[in-house]
Amino acid sequence: MLKIIIPTMMLIPLTWLSKPSMIWINTTAYSMLISLIGLTYLNQFTDNNLNFSLLFFTDSLSAPLLMLTTWLLPLMLMASQYHLSKETLTRKKLYITMLVLLQLFLIMTFTATELIMFYILFEATLMPTLIIITRWGNQTERLNAGLYFLFYTLVGSLPLLIALLWVQNNLGTLNLLVIQYWAPPLLDSWSNALLWLACMMAFMVKMPLYGLHLWLPKAHVEAPIAGSMVLAAVLLKLGGYGMMRITVLLNPLTNFMAYPFMMLSLWGMIMTSSICLRQTDLKSLIAYSSVSHMALVIVAVLIQSPWSYMGATALMIAHGLTSSMLFCLANSNYERVHSRTMILARGLQTLLPLMAAWWLLASLTNLALPPTINLVGELFVVMASFSWSNITIILMGINITITALYSLYMLITTQRGKYTHHIKNVKPSFTRENSLMALHLLPLLLLSLNPKVILGPIY
Amino acid sequence: MSEIKKKIQSVLPGGAWTQLHDTSYLPPEHSDVVIVGGGVMGLSVAYWLKRLEKPRGAIRVLVVERDHTYSQASTVLSVGGIRQQFSVPENIQLSLFSIEFLRNINEYLAVVDDPPLDIQFNPSGYLLLASEKGASVLESNVRVQRQEGAKVCLMSPEQLRNKFPWINPEGVALASYGMEHEGWFDPWSLLQGLRRKVQSMGVLFCQGEVTRFVSSSSHAETPSGEEVTLKRVHEVHVKIDRSLEYQPVECAIVINAAGAWSGQIAELAGIGKGPPGTLKGTKLPVEPRKRYVYLWNCPQGPGLETPFVIDASGAYFRREGLGNNYLGGCSPTEEEEPDPENLEVDHEFFQDKVWPPLAQRVPAFESLKVRSAWAGYYDYNTFDQNGVVGPHPLVVNMYFATGFSGHGLQQAPAVGRAVAELVLHGNFQTINLSPFLFNRFHLGEKVHEHNII
Repeated sequence: MLKIIIPTMMLIPLTWLSKPSMIWINTTAYSMLISLIGLTYLNQFTDNNLNFSLLFFTDSLSAPLLMLTTWLLPLMLMASQYHLSKETLTRKKLYITMLVLLQLFLIMTFTATELIMFYILFEATLMPTLIIITRWGNQTERLNAGLYFLFYTLVGSLPLLIALLWVQNNLGTLNLLVIQYWAPPLLDSWSNALLWLACMMAFMVKMPLYGLHLWLPKAHVEAPIAGSMVLAAVLLKLGGYGMMRITVLLNPLTNFMAYPFMMLSLWGMIMTSSICLRQTDLKSLIAYSSVSHMALVIVAVLIQSPWSYMGATALMIAHGLTSSMLFCLANSNYERVHSRTMILARGLQTLLPLMAAWWLLASLTNLALPPTINLVGELFVVMASFSWSNITIILMGINITITALYSLYMLITTQRGKYTHHIKNVKPSFTRENSLMALHLLPLLLLSLNPKVILGPIY
Repeated sequence: MSEIKKKIQSVLPGGAWTQLHDTSYLPPEHSDVVIVGGGVMGLSVAYWLKRLEKPRGAIRVLVVERDHTYSQASTVLSVGGIRQQFSVPENIQLSLFSIEFLRNINEYLAVVDDPPLDIQFNPSGYLLLASEKGASVLESNVRVQRQEGAKVCLMSPEQLRNKFPWINPEGVALASYGMEHEGWFDPWSLLQGLRRKVQSMGVLFCQGEVTRFVSSSSHAETPSGEEVTLKRVHEVHVKIDRSLEYQPVECAIVINAAGAWSGQIAELAGIGKGPPGTLKGTKLPVEPRKRYVYLWNCPQGPGLETPFVIDASGAYFRREGLGNNYLGGCSPTEEEEPDPENLEVDHEFFQDKVWPPLAQRVPAFESLKVRSAWAGYYDYNTFDQNGVVGPHPLVVNMYFATGFSGHGLQQAPAVGRAVAELVLHGNFQTINLSPFLFNRFHLGEKVHEHNII
């Protein structure tokens, strides 16, 4: 594990000591090399896990998420180049440092063995994200967005700390590998129900669950592009990953404590999908679509069946790549037209045909077109929820329809039709942007050929 | 180091907290559309943009107005007439829609819990008088007007004397009288009504002056190999009144509705900076021209049915209120153009140029007493005295809604709708204003309008 952590840490001196003309090249290239190291972890040859040390381990659940995190850093750096070009050198270096710090915390979170270390790093990821949103965000509302983001997550996760300390006291250990075998059954009592809530709420807020999702559209819309990418792709998955890890402690109470959250998620995914149909701001649409997809993951994790876990893992990886790609596309639009409103930049297919191809592919993966891994994930979740309760198939069906509707609505509004007069002089797509989209799409398509890598520990 | 110390000291309790200043007087940092100019034209564009946007709340609009008292704005200094008696069909269509807007103004501009608007529309019609020379032109104009749907009738001197006994029809060969949808109204109430409605629809107002456009250019090649530079304005610097502070507003579209000062705004965007004769070097030919309006009292003057009379000589008058007061004036010739530096009134102009023709036409006006007078600007289009509507071909995201040379107020609702259609749909959908696009200045295609007052 150190072979990823130390290079990531050393990216910070790399940015501060590089020549000004070489900052972006250096950081992007080295972070991509680091992600290639992460590829080796995907080769999980046992169904247990790869144990690196007392502190770090990966198994088939955290390895794909780790890969996603390390793959995203070079992509975030590529996406941020344009809007940082007008900043001073120190600011640029600070920004990259924040991103690398966030990356460091995320890597350690996904590979943490001990749940307290996981918790500390889970909270630590908030800090660089908050700094990125409030300092480099676009509008004055970003202060409000930062506040919502920080306090929602903090309030949700403080009970988790207490719960973890109690479990540590009670059980003697919080080592993920040990509690898999040592966790006593959680019987039905008021205090155990509170324990369940304390453990789960942090991750529910992070996912986000439908009733607690207010911070997400704000944070996503106000964050700069790298902030949006990392938020959508990785930080939301922290919630899913945490839920999947902590549920080993919470059986059999989950069987009936999960009901309110199942209802909220099932209802919430339809609600947020419907809101997407009425959105005028492109980034806001993608943010609400994230909530909708994550609601599926919540449903899957709470059902706790083998197929649903496989679906949840696949969906997390697939959504990470798709959502991040959509944010990059929205940002490329914003950099040209200086507005995020969809109807002001129409008919882009005529002006930027290659970008239109990326838009098409991103929208198709967003609506879970076969044979992408988005479909694999969603299908597994739908099947698992059908076997949990037959009626949910209606809700799932409605959700899939509305997802298709708003994805195509976004595609058609921005790409098709006659272009407006005031976007006639958009700059053609940069190679940097095209390669950014290709690097998002390549893992997605390759994984469609071999999805077993991302199907998680149950496969 | 001392700066950090200062910051820390101000954060600690007891220190003066100097970090977050109140910036609510500044415009927002982002706006999708920035409308330069908050007169009736700018507000009309804002209204129709908010009304025609498909999902509600889609577009963020900012109206930047330099003077919130509107002390020099053409809108409120206008005589307030509306007529369909133009010679260009598009002008007639614009006025027809506008009168329909004004007649149903409380359906268009209703705001919840606010009292209804009363723009005090007097539907007294316009009376255009023509001498022998202008009679045939008047007749063909009336034919065009009738074709477009205006209700205008032709009157002979006999009929004139019968209908309006106070008129002296000597020298008049033909007259055209608008029987419906013509008259005058209170422009201040229209402005306030639009302001109220537009604010309730979510448009942001800002008091400031646009001092700079930050733009980015890109080069393109025409099919014949010529190089063209396309520019887009992506930031508008709005300077706050009586201060050096300015706020850069990031925007996608700029609408130039600055009235008499539109020429200066266009120059800020770099329109007209190029070799003369090319498209790049074509300026926006809108400049301020001063016009005087005089208010006089004549106890024996014409009564309630008095239309807005425009004499063959160019002098005009209309009834104002119910106390035998009349408003009137005359457009000076090119040589007599007053200096548009300020809005001082020249009373000699009334004695020399306005009173004689009016006294000749209406004998009762031989004894009158001037009560007051004021001056206002025409956003005068020196090219063809008709409005400029639509985008600039090279500065791709600047749209114009200006240059109406004295008939802007009456066409404002329709022009606002046309510009909003252009922005939202990409083409004119209800009234086709392609003759009014900017290109005509470069191509030299004048829109000949006979009835310019």
